[in-house]
Amino acid sequence: MTAQGITRRHYQPEPVGATKLNEVEAAPFRLEPGMVVVGILGFLTVMGVAAGLARLLIGLGGTTALSDSTSWGIWIGFDFALIAFSGAAFTMAAVVHIFHLHQFQPVLRPALLAGFLGYTAVLVLLLLDLGRPDRFYNFLLYWNLHSPLFEICCCVLLYTTVLVLEVAPDFLEKFGWTKVRRFVLWLMAPVTVLGVTLSTLHQSTLGTLYLNMPHRVSALWWTPMLPILFFTSAVMAGLAMAIVAYRTAVRIHQSPEETKVIQGLMVGIGGVTLVYLAVRVGALINNGELFNLDWSAMRTWLATIEIVLGALVPATICLVPAWRRRPTLQWVAPLLILAGVLMNRFNATLASQTAPVAGSAYIPSMMEWMSTIGILAMAALAWYICVRWLVRFDGSHEAH
Amino acid sequence: MTDSIHLGALPENVDMTCPLMSRRTFLKGIAAGAGALAVTAAAGGGAIASTGPVDPNAMAMLVDLTRCTGCNSCALACKSTNERAEPTTIPTKIDANAYSFVDVREVSDVHGAPLKVFVKRQCMNCVDPACVSACTVGALTKEPGGPVVYESSKCIGCRYCQYACPYGVPAYDWDNPLGLIHKCEMCADRQAEGDEPACAEACPNGAIRFGKRSMLLAEAKATIASNTGRYVNHVYGEHEAGGASVLYIGPVPFAALGFPVLGDETITHHGESVMRKTPIVALTMASLAAAMQFMTGRRAKHAHGEFVAAVEQSADVSNRTASGDHS
Repeated sequence: MTAQGITRRHYQPEPVGATKLNEVEAAPFRLEPGMVVVGILGFLTVMGVAAGLARLLIGLGGTTALSDSTSWGIWIGFDFALIAFSGAAFTMAAVVHIFHLHQFQPVLRPALLAGFLGYTAVLVLLLLDLGRPDRFYNFLLYWNLHSPLFEICCCVLLYTTVLVLEVAPDFLEKFGWTKVRRFVLWLMAPVTVLGVTLSTLHQSTLGTLYLNMPHRVSALWWTPMLPILFFTSAVMAGLAMAIVAYRTAVRIHQSPEETKVIQGLMVGIGGVTLVYLAVRVGALINNGELFNLDWSAMRTWLATIEIVLGALVPATICLVPAWRRRPTLQWVAPLLILAGVLMNRFNATLASQTAPVAGSAYIPSMMEWMSTIGILAMAALAWYICVRWLVRFDGSHEAH
Repeated sequence: MTDSIHLGALPENVDMTCPLMSRRTFLKGIAAGAGALAVTAAAGGGAIASTGPVDPNAMAMLVDLTRCTGCNSCALACKSTNERAEPTTIPTKIDANAYSFVDVREVSDVHGAPLKVFVKRQCMNCVDPACVSACTVGALTKEPGGPVVYESSKCIGCRYCQYACPYGVPAYDWDNPLGLIHKCEMCADRQAEGDEPACAEACPNGAIRFGKRSMLLAEAKATIASNTGRYVNHVYGEHEAGGASVLYIGPVPFAALGFPVLGDETITHHGESVMRKTPIVALTMASLAAAMQFMTGRRAKHAHGEFVAAVEQSADVSNRTASGDHS
């Protein structure tokens, strides 16, 4: 994803207000990789919007493979994984604005943008999945404080507002609205604390959600520790997403990478993943599963792949200094973490479940895939444009 | 104590035995006052399980599987009273168009001889319903008299109730672009008018009895005791997942008839014990983050100044990384 057509930017102070777009426009036209990326993502987005509209008009029965026995499908799987990936925003906000580790500043903007656009995609996916999208606001009117999903809805709504405030300074800077920007920056300290609190709540409550299904979820996944597992894996996935976003953004701008920053984040991932693994394996021992694994069952393999390839291997890469210095493994480790968390959310939602009354097997429909891929492409496209437009790696973001 | 079954969705349903469950207290918690901290700490310490003893006046149904002949009168009466489509077609499963059906099970009796058992299935109207605990918008509520009722105007169609229910009962109307959940409500509206549920009224064989739960339980146990060999010694629904408003007695173990094997503890207690800690988690996290921000902020100020100066001096990123290590 390199944009060779763009003039390489050097680290000279740039006058505030001078936009990158001017520079891009000034260059002579030629087909650059960036345009191909925009073209492909744009096509997928249009396809996804069409599929999404069809679902809204026709209804769930005609467009999805969902049934009374499997009534949550890939929309929910991707949704829950995307919430964890979007943990990039709260983890990096905590690193930079709560722990004040300013060497990680360059990672913050791409991560905040990824988080904000991730949550936007989450909301769109959720709206498609709701049986009554026209009543989405009902959770504001009718409260059920026992319901994990009620808490998640409230937190996601509030946290998306927090994310708007967190990414606002970047946009306001572009628009030259200095006074408003200064006001938002003044709010930033309490807003960051609020964002971290809301994230802790809903990331863990996504685990609590499954506590109400002890009869459905296999003991390979179900444990009273689910809230803790969901929270720690969101931190893992968030930091991994931050690395991927940062390394991609650096390539978009053809800037040199700060390998120490990446390594620092990898140490964080390694530590958190060890905690996650301890709780995960501890729960398997406690459930009496670990020493009674049934290798003829698909679930055993899925759980093993998820734990070994999605957590154990990347944690090892992150914690061995010689390995985490290698640029290739700096891609491998975070991508394995993301794949592992994606798999975990899918397993919890689909593979681990046995419905009390068996129904037909769930094979996602074309419409479900198209809308999911389209919405993810839309978020990726928006992120790409924002990163090209807003992000700089020349140190001028220090005021933030 | 049956009040504690209710959720805090409506002000009149607020369970005063557990202050955390009221909207006002929740807001206080959000406001993060010292008073709220005390309230939450007290409530968290004395967490109360949401299952109380069953209301002595709660109504229930007793289904005697040995008496059912599979005539389907109940299932058709159910369709008709709930105004479902095709009221004369015998349903074969629970779905949005049929809130109950008669499941035909071919099993072996205690002597190994083949036995056909007709099992009427519908919502169990649990004592502590998991669907009620799970429902995002509190559209499902437990009435003290027994029924678990559904207020369709609140429902957003999230379908979490389908995942929480251990019996696989709530059904979604998939063919409707604005589909809703459908389930048996134990004919709450008929009960309010002093009538029996339609299925109990329709049964010609006395296989479905309607009455006070406590009396039906006593009757079920007496029936089992006085008919040795005819029944297994188990009233299904007495204790399952905290108990249900529909009780079954039958000729073979219930697991063989497709009844889920459930423990005595409620489904809801796992999730609710965590949900009850929400204000404590929020306050702890917010205070820790704020304290950390304040402390590291003071420490980082000096290093940060150095860092910015270094960035300004340096045109090269690699130099900047080195200075960044100080902060």
